[in-house]
Amino acid sequence: MTNMKQKIFSNKLWWELGNWGFLLPHFFFFILFIIIPLISNIQISFYNWNLLGQKTFVGFQNFVRIWTDDRFWLAVKNTVIFAIVSIPLVIIVAMIIALILNQKVYGKLWLLIAFVSPTFFGSVGILTTWKWIYASYPTGLLNYYLTKFGILREAISWFETPARAWLCIIITTVWWIVGFSVLLYLGALQRIPPEQYEAAKIDGAGPWKIFWNVTLPWMRNVLFFDVVRQVLLAFGLFDQVYFFTGGGPAGSTRTMVYYLYLIGFTRQELGQAAAISWYIFAIVLIFALIQLFMLTKTIRSAEE
Amino acid sequence: MQEKNWLKLFKSNKKLQRIVLSIILWIIAAIWYIPIFWMLSTSLKSSQVAITENPPRWIPQEPTLENYKIVFSPASGISVMRGIINSFFVAIISTFLGLVIATPAAYALSRLRFRGRNAIFWSYVAILAFPGVLFLVPQYFIIHSLGLMDNYLALILPGLGSTFGVFLLRQYMLGIPRELEDAAWIDGCSRLRFLITVVLPYVKPALTTLALMSFLGSWNSFLWPLLVLNSPEKLTLPIALVRFSAGWGDPFRGIGPLMAGAFVSVAPTLIIFIVFHKYLMQGISLSAGEK
Repeated sequence: MTNMKQKIFSNKLWWELGNWGFLLPHFFFFILFIIIPLISNIQISFYNWNLLGQKTFVGFQNFVRIWTDDRFWLAVKNTVIFAIVSIPLVIIVAMIIALILNQKVYGKLWLLIAFVSPTFFGSVGILTTWKWIYASYPTGLLNYYLTKFGILREAISWFETPARAWLCIIITTVWWIVGFSVLLYLGALQRIPPEQYEAAKIDGAGPWKIFWNVTLPWMRNVLFFDVVRQVLLAFGLFDQVYFFTGGGPAGSTRTMVYYLYLIGFTRQELGQAAAISWYIFAIVLIFALIQLFMLTKTIRSAEE
Repeated sequence: MQEKNWLKLFKSNKKLQRIVLSIILWIIAAIWYIPIFWMLSTSLKSSQVAITENPPRWIPQEPTLENYKIVFSPASGISVMRGIINSFFVAIISTFLGLVIATPAAYALSRLRFRGRNAIFWSYVAILAFPGVLFLVPQYFIIHSLGLMDNYLALILPGLGSTFGVFLLRQYMLGIPRELEDAAWIDGCSRLRFLITVVLPYVKPALTTLALMSFLGSWNSFLWPLLVLNSPEKLTLPIALVRFSAGWGDPFRGIGPLMAGAFVSVAPTLIIFIVFHKYLMQGISLSAGEK
């Protein structure tokens, strides 16, 4: 009797271990390249550490040094402003495109290709092209058309002032990433039951009211997901800065990740870079929570 | 009064609505197409013409393939051709290995029972919301201490720990009908056989989606290879292009070849998107946890 029980028990255990076995290969890499790095990132941030293996424990010194560095706070400011401008902009542009695409339009496939394919393009090809469009020559595409239509008097250098450089970065970013959101919203729009719209129409609601009271609440989950995704993207801003401005003029487009790159990989201060990454983590967390809170409030008031 | 009539006509006439909306959207879409078109157009002009011609021409007056010859010629120092081969190689291997380990993991997390399953699944999901920059410095350390700097394994291995693919496949596997599984148990089907004969065919669309997304992710990746690669013959395409453009000093002096290189890097993505757009678009909605 006991023997039997033991046998069943050990069979069950083997079965469970077998189940574990399916997860194991991936779990190994998950531990090695995700969990261990996460933990060692804490450790690294407390050391003065370079690649030659020399390390000295410095306590909170890295965190203090970054905290008291004006260039860091400038990078924080730059990144936060970028996030505040670009996230709502991408959401609004994506919403407009998705709302029209959801109607019957001609040539839907080629419209989708136009808006969505850039999301999958790599930064190098895309950003060198945009840089060429922003070229400072009178024959640079943007300069040429703006002078031709009389918006500019003469060709200008687009990365020379902070405002212009940011304008370029934001235009390119919206062009690049809006497709992902368009597709998310389009999927959500198509899941709204048509009866919802008809009921609202019978109540005599106008298009704006229908959007506010029917469409928006139905898109809540997708919007939540998209906000979190975009906060991560905005605070990870690096490639555009690397290709367009190198952080200039005078550090005005230096973002947090770009600052980390400079400290960690050009100056080889990896302990400080690790400390910066924890600051970025904290700021992303705070920012994502604020955004989600505001979005919840907007949708709640729409539902009432 | 007249305005009101127009509005009325617009509201009642479905066809008119369709035409007007299409025109509005096509105007926006035209702007979206400009960079790609301008890249292709410039790549077919000599750099001298591209910089000086006034007005800039959308269709090159004397189209030339000279730039593509420069890009592909081994004499130009940094071989872009070599970069294409390297990128392709790395992307294929990463994608293949990623799928091979993510599929059974997703199967375990969606259909099998064991202690700690939920905790592991939720940590897999939670990690997706962490900013990638947190892993940059420590992964760099690990790669360095494993002696893998300037080695393709540095590009392939860290990505295998990514939980995105497991999450995506798991969402899809949750849809496998229970009856299918019960029938297989009664037939005495083993887990492995069930995975291969039932689950794999069922999740084929999701596997295709994931394969395409991970191929493109590797093909496009920039910052990480920039940090870990060094030897000219090992560079992936994006890094090779950056070094290639740095060779000109003022990058616009070589804008023709540069745009040819840019087009070469974007063209595979464009082709993949046009052919497989259904799968890539599904990937976007799956990543939001929807079907």
